Amino acid sequence: MITVKDLHKSFGKLNILKGVNIEIAKGEVVVVIGPSGSGKSTFLRCLNMLETPTSGEIAFEGDSITDKKHNINLTREKMGMVFQQFNLFPHKTVLQNIMLAPVKVKKMPQPEAEKIALDLLQTVGLADKKDAYPSQLSGGQKQRIAIARALAMQPHVMLFDEPTSALDPEMVGEVLEVMKKLAEGGMTMVIVTHEMGFAREVGDRIVFMDDGQIMEEGTPSQVFGNPKNSRTKDFLSKVL
Amino acid sequence: MNIFETFWEYRSYFGQGIQYTLLLAAIGVVCGFILGLLVSMLRMSRFWLPRFLGTVWVEFLRGTPMLVQLFIIHYGLVSFGIKLTAIESGAITLSINSSAYLAETFRAGIQGVDRGQAEAARSLGMSKGMTMRYIILPQAVKSVLPAIGNEFITIIKESSIVSFIGVTDLMYQAQAVTTITYESLKPLLIIAAIYFVMTFTLSKLLGLFERRLSTDDHR
Repeated sequence: MITVKDLHKSFGKLNILKGVNIEIAKGEVVVVIGPSGSGKSTFLRCLNMLETPTSGEIAFEGDSITDKKHNINLTREKMGMVFQQFNLFPHKTVLQNIMLAPVKVKKMPQPEAEKIALDLLQTVGLADKKDAYPSQLSGGQKQRIAIARALAMQPHVMLFDEPTSALDPEMVGEVLEVMKKLAEGGMTMVIVTHEMGFAREVGDRIVFMDDGQIMEEGTPSQVFGNPKNSRTKDFLSKVL
Repeated sequence: MNIFETFWEYRSYFGQGIQYTLLLAAIGVVCGFILGLLVSMLRMSRFWLPRFLGTVWVEFLRGTPMLVQLFIIHYGLVSFGIKLTAIESGAITLSINSSAYLAETFRAGIQGVDRGQAEAARSLGMSKGMTMRYIILPQAVKSVLPAIGNEFITIIKESSIVSFIGVTDLMYQAQAVTTITYESLKPLLIIAAIYFVMTFTLSKLLGLFERRLSTDDHR
């Protein structure tokens, strides 16, 4: 579904990604772990071209999205993204946040978009908040709304950029719960996270990144239970 | 004649003055707003040429007296065969002058919106234009509303310079009444009061509008 070939990204002289290669299959849940500054977030943000790669190729459902002639907006409709800082639109209600893109981008009729939005609010357990403004919500609620907003576009893949890192500890669970349900429903997901327990439980594949490269990848039991790479061992010994 | 009698006696003068002042200020506000928005976009362009043009526009209009600008447009452009009526010259001057100040205000507001907002919008498949229209601008305008209000009030007051080229606005009419009555203070006090009522009303209206917009702020 997503193929990444020799992806490089540098900011000025700073090389963040130094040749990343990965293939992500439909329905797979890939969890990317690694120390801060290892390039995990940059890698994720390259997948929907929020960062423009310096070189390399990314293909999504057969289309090369790194091609300059490719209309990235069409691809982004099919790739949902959830951010560390939620990034809900503060001037719009919860319902408007969720309905905006389906109505404006997909030209979906208002009633249909509203129905989808209400269903999604039900799914994330926040149906009663539909008329609230983001500033009236807790961090965990905001993130669940952000997930619903991304899902409203009916994406084929969901990208999560440290979705629980900005949350108070007691709110982490409710967000992970929603993500887990999503994974169980068969959604293709790429998740950058520091939640090792969640990674082990929900991930089909764990990717360990360090120094702008994928150092090791495998099933959770392989990577967590029997890491091969010395840096993986070193990292896991610090976080587990 | 006390001041009220002066006002009543020459009410048709002041009435006409109010009309022209309001007309020019309204044109200045509306055209300045739209033009200012366009100029702020130029100033934030990815390409150097529009950015350069935007900067020249802003710096020139901010850096020279509005009276000089007015005279250039009204008397100077004649040598290029462009003959404008006093009203036209006044409206153009007020519009372009306020556009320069508003452009800087808008730019500050737009750049003040968190980068994550645009990223979230783009990640949902919205184009740059949609993102600007539905996400960035509403938040930017809200945050700089007080500064926009200041500029509107400035336009009302500064519109008085058009009396120099013969537009029969409030300032002009005060001088006209002075020529008839030989009273210099009273007509000026009268128009000062009228200007104040206009600006004070506007500032109250903007305050109301601001409060309505901030209903989504419960921080």
